[in-house]
Amino acid sequence: MLASLKRNWSYLAITGVIAFFMLIPFDWFLGQYTTLMIFIGIYTIVTVGLCLLMGYTGQVSLGQAAFFGMGAYISAILSKTYGVNPWLAMLIAAIMTGAFAYIIGYPIFRLKGNYLAMATLGLGLIMWILFTELSQFTGGPDGMSGIPSLSIGGFVFDSSFRCYFLVWLFCLVVLLISQNIVRSRTGRALRAIHGSEAASESIGINVNQFKVKILTLSAVYASLAGSLFVHYLRFVSPQPFDFLASVKLVVMAVIGGLASVWGAIFGAGATRVLSDELLLRFGQWDIVVYGLILVLVMIFMPEGLFVKLKELYERFRFRYRRREAQP
Amino acid sequence: MTKSIILETRGLSKTFGGLVAVNKVDLTLEAGKITAIIGPNGAGKTTLFNLITGVYPVSSGEIFFQGALLNNVPAYKRASLGIVRTYQHIHLFGNMTVLENVMSGRHPRSSYGFFEAAFRLPKARREEEAISLNAIKYLNLVGLGTYAEHDAMSLPLGQQKLLAIARALATEPRLILLDEPGAGLNTLEKRQLSDLMRSIREMGISVVLVEHDMPLVMGIAEWVIVLDSGHKIAEGTPVQIQKNERVIAAYLGEEVE
Ligand SMILES: Nc1ncnc2c1ncn2[C@@H]1O[C@H](COP(=O)(O)OP(=O)(O)OP(=O)(O)O)[C@@H](O)[C@H]1O
Ligand SMILES: [Mg+2]
Repeated sequence: MLASLKRNWSYLAITGVIAFFMLIPFDWFLGQYTTLMIFIGIYTIVTVGLCLLMGYTGQVSLGQAAFFGMGAYISAILSKTYGVNPWLAMLIAAIMTGAFAYIIGYPIFRLKGNYLAMATLGLGLIMWILFTELSQFTGGPDGMSGIPSLSIGGFVFDSSFRCYFLVWLFCLVVLLISQNIVRSRTGRALRAIHGSEAASESIGINVNQFKVKILTLSAVYASLAGSLFVHYLRFVSPQPFDFLASVKLVVMAVIGGLASVWGAIFGAGATRVLSDELLLRFGQWDIVVYGLILVLVMIFMPEGLFVKLKELYERFRFRYRRREAQP
Repeated sequence: MTKSIILETRGLSKTFGGLVAVNKVDLTLEAGKITAIIGPNGAGKTTLFNLITGVYPVSSGEIFFQGALLNNVPAYKRASLGIVRTYQHIHLFGNMTVLENVMSGRHPRSSYGFFEAAFRLPKARREEEAISLNAIKYLNLVGLGTYAEHDAMSLPLGQQKLLAIARALATEPRLILLDEPGAGLNTLEKRQLSDLMRSIREMGISVVLVEHDMPLVMGIAEWVIVLDSGHKIAEGTPVQIQKNERVIAAYLGEEVE
């Protein structure tokens, strides 16, 4: 019963998402919001990785912006400074970021809980300092501009309208792949690790290796998102990859419901709208507001706002049906 | 006919700081039997299980499984060799349904990974079908088939324990270690548990149980090993153990008082 409801839900979600994001919003419809929608798509890709890592596997990352930034900078430097084709730059960035995550994964997952949180936080800070300080490569705090756009043949993704479709295509592929993983032997192993590491090992799950692999996958997602980000903006600076960025990513994952792949769109959307439209007023204080949101969501709806709304909808539908069924 | 040995330990010891939790224990477990390990609280029974399953490295001594040295085999590999255990504190996956818990137990008997999962390749779909069929089989074996779609933690304690056994059995072990499977069960559930352990043995699986309930132990075990303060102080058939002076002094006597 519960399971079949869940299954219906994701088909509904998939159809809804495709219909809404790919068919309805033409440029004249979205207008100034095209850019916002592109950012939501990009952040959704990062958030999905974080959901897999935190929500499903139970491993905290307070430094996810490091991988996001690596994708962005490697793509930017390769394509601008070395003239590498942007697609190839994107691929190399994903491979390098993934390899980096894989290598640091083994030592970092010797740590658990708060210690893991601190280590990933440190990773984020170190990366941010590197982006800022290695100015002969990165352009330092001022960043780099003139990064080439992605293109296929003669078709250049140089307008928001064009990038919109590109980003959401990536986003959908990432969502579908992630959903497939969640509903597989691998997904069960990840959830098992979250449930009980001791029991997981006892039934033959290589706990450490799964943690490292899911960190790697989440890093590859973040890297791809970072590449899309810079090839769209054609500009990169350290600011979108600072500590606040990592916190925002966690807020997105939490609002969307940590253990819900599709909730990531909702989480990224809600958080982007908040920060682009509303939180600007708070200026420097916006981090306090993020902290507050995080605390409130964790206390009152630990499964996430999206999951909560879904539950309310189900309850409403159930009641409605029952009333209909009465003679 | 020579007896085949499923598990053997030689001089097995485990120390925690100054405490010797398991002290030079020699065990020889015959395949296809139900063996009980008994002893007062803190005797080292759970620690012994932790050594056999690789949760802790041994301090000294050797463990052999089907004749092969086990000491340096990582914990997660021991399930695919055929050793599985349940926990005193159950350790179900609370974030899964009953069926998914058992499906997780198929992990070492399936092999598709991230890539096949991501693109739902034929191998993934084929294995996934086998995983759920097998899981349902083990769920039915412990009598929980009708609860497949329930949340694991919604079950009462007795059924949670059965579920943990089903999950362990799903790994197709040669040897299953049950840590206090009877604790917290009522009389009827204990009888069902005894029946289940017998049918596990009928499947050719060697059973070792740690248990405080003496009638349960004496009713089902073919061989009983007694630990006290980390030492093996006696072993024998249930009848021999019940008459053993040292055992009565160390353990049974203490309970009577
Ligand atoms: N990880 C550990 N660190 C330190 N001491 C431990 C550890 N695990 C067990 N011990 C100690 O080792 C001794 C044996 O513990 P163990 O859990 O094996 O006993 P047990 O026979 O299973 O007892 P019970 O019947 O109460 O479950 C106890 O004194 C216990 O405190
Ligand atoms: Mg114990």
